[in-house]
Amino acid sequence: MIDEQTQELVLQYLLGELEPSQMEVVRTQIDSDAELKTFVNEMEETVGSLAYSVRPIAAPPDIPRRILRAERGPVRPAPEAPRSRRAALSLIPWALAACLAIACIILGVDREHVRDRLSKELAALRETNAQTSKALTQLEQKSADSEKEIAAFRERSAGLENQLAALEQKNAEAQTGLAAVKQKAAEAEQAVAALTQKDADSQKELAALRQRNLLSEIKIATLTAQVAKFQQANAVVVWDTDLRSGVLQLDKLPPPAPGKDYQLWVIDPSKPLPVSAGVLSVPSVGLIRTSFHPSQPVQSAAAFAISVEKSGGSMKPEGQIILLGK
Amino acid sequence: MTRLADDPESKFEASLISRIADGDESAFATFYQRLSSSLYGMAYRMMNDAKEAEDVLQEGFTYIWRRAGSFDPARSTAFAWAVMIVRNKAIDRLRVRQRSERLRERAEESVVQQRDESSAEEPALRERTAIVRSALQQIPQEQREALELAFFGGLTHEEIAERLTIPLGTIKARIRRGLLRLRDFLHEEI
Repeated sequence: MIDEQTQELVLQYLLGELEPSQMEVVRTQIDSDAELKTFVNEMEETVGSLAYSVRPIAAPPDIPRRILRAERGPVRPAPEAPRSRRAALSLIPWALAACLAIACIILGVDREHVRDRLSKELAALRETNAQTSKALTQLEQKSADSEKEIAAFRERSAGLENQLAALEQKNAEAQTGLAAVKQKAAEAEQAVAALTQKDADSQKELAALRQRNLLSEIKIATLTAQVAKFQQANAVVVWDTDLRSGVLQLDKLPPPAPGKDYQLWVIDPSKPLPVSAGVLSVPSVGLIRTSFHPSQPVQSAAAFAISVEKSGGSMKPEGQIILLGK
Repeated sequence: MTRLADDPESKFEASLISRIADGDESAFATFYQRLSSSLYGMAYRMMNDAKEAEDVLQEGFTYIWRRAGSFDPARSTAFAWAVMIVRNKAIDRLRVRQRSERLRERAEESVVQQRDESSAEEPALRERTAIVRSALQQIPQEQREALELAFFGGLTHEEIAERLTIPLGTIKARIRRGLLRLRDFLHEEI
């Protein structure tokens, strides 16, 4: 079975469309394939039969005669009888004369025909020449147009290259600027981190200082009994130097005797007498907590004391000191 | 399937070629008398110019006279062989000269149309002509058109595709199918 592609190829071969080299290849292929050879033979007959489809026209009858006359001399020379060399040489002038005569006759007969043919061929050649010149002119014009386009394109290309170079320069500068900004940002971040660290340290130091300051401002004093009767009593004073006030906590201190009150004193070395911090209200033996403010400004609370005074208190300690502490 | 080569007329023409190869001038004249009207009609159809068709015919028969010994009856008929020779001569002229359309139009008005056509047709030729024309009428018009442009117009497949603005593959297929159908029709008729 011959495939369609091969069929189409051999038809192109039969119709004379292939190049000489391709024709040779196809011819070899046909000769080596019996089936293909049969197909080609059938197709050649079929293609040839197309000539029957045209209207036959009576051809000039003298063509065979013309052909044979033209072909006789050089192609199919008539055999000559052997002659002696001298006889042959003596006939040469006569032969030349005969040839000349024949040529004159042929030229005379065909003169008009040849002239007509040459005229037509000359006209066709002139026509072809004119068309070729025209085509050449068009090609030259196209070539000139193409060169102009190429020049314009090159100019545009050069402009674009310059723009590209400028953009690349700007890009390089921008990259450098960006690197500098990044460097500065990194340095700023480091500075912020250092400051943050310093701030944290400062906060810590501040907290420590505050803590130390707070402790330094608070004074705690435990008062001890100065009389056996009040041996069981407990008294603690917490003094705030900054606020110059304090808190007193009492426990197991019996209520004062009738007509008597307990009075709290702050002993300031800068003062000649203890400063009254107020009369204490002790209704029972239980736990009592009360805040107090000295009646005068205190520079330094060196000690605290509780005394038994007349009801309502005294301006200065007059009664017995029962509890005392620094 | 019967081949054209088996036709008695074809066998006779093949024998004439054989005699021509031996230098038989009378065989050459007979061969010319039998085939020249068809071949001249074809050449005129291709060249559209009576004088050029005559030149093509003379060149073709000169080739036949010189190369008759190369004819192989096993490959094709003598008629097909002669057709291809004359057609190739015509195509050579068409392609080399690149004749202008103006020249073609002028040639159409030449004297060939005034020739006596009927006198050229022999009975055998009339029969073959009728068979081929009938066969051609039985293939689709677009295949017939492609075949005529390729065979008589001397156009390549690509040139036909360009002229008809049809894909090259379609043209190839049309020519191939047209020739296959024509072959089948001709074999049925012979």
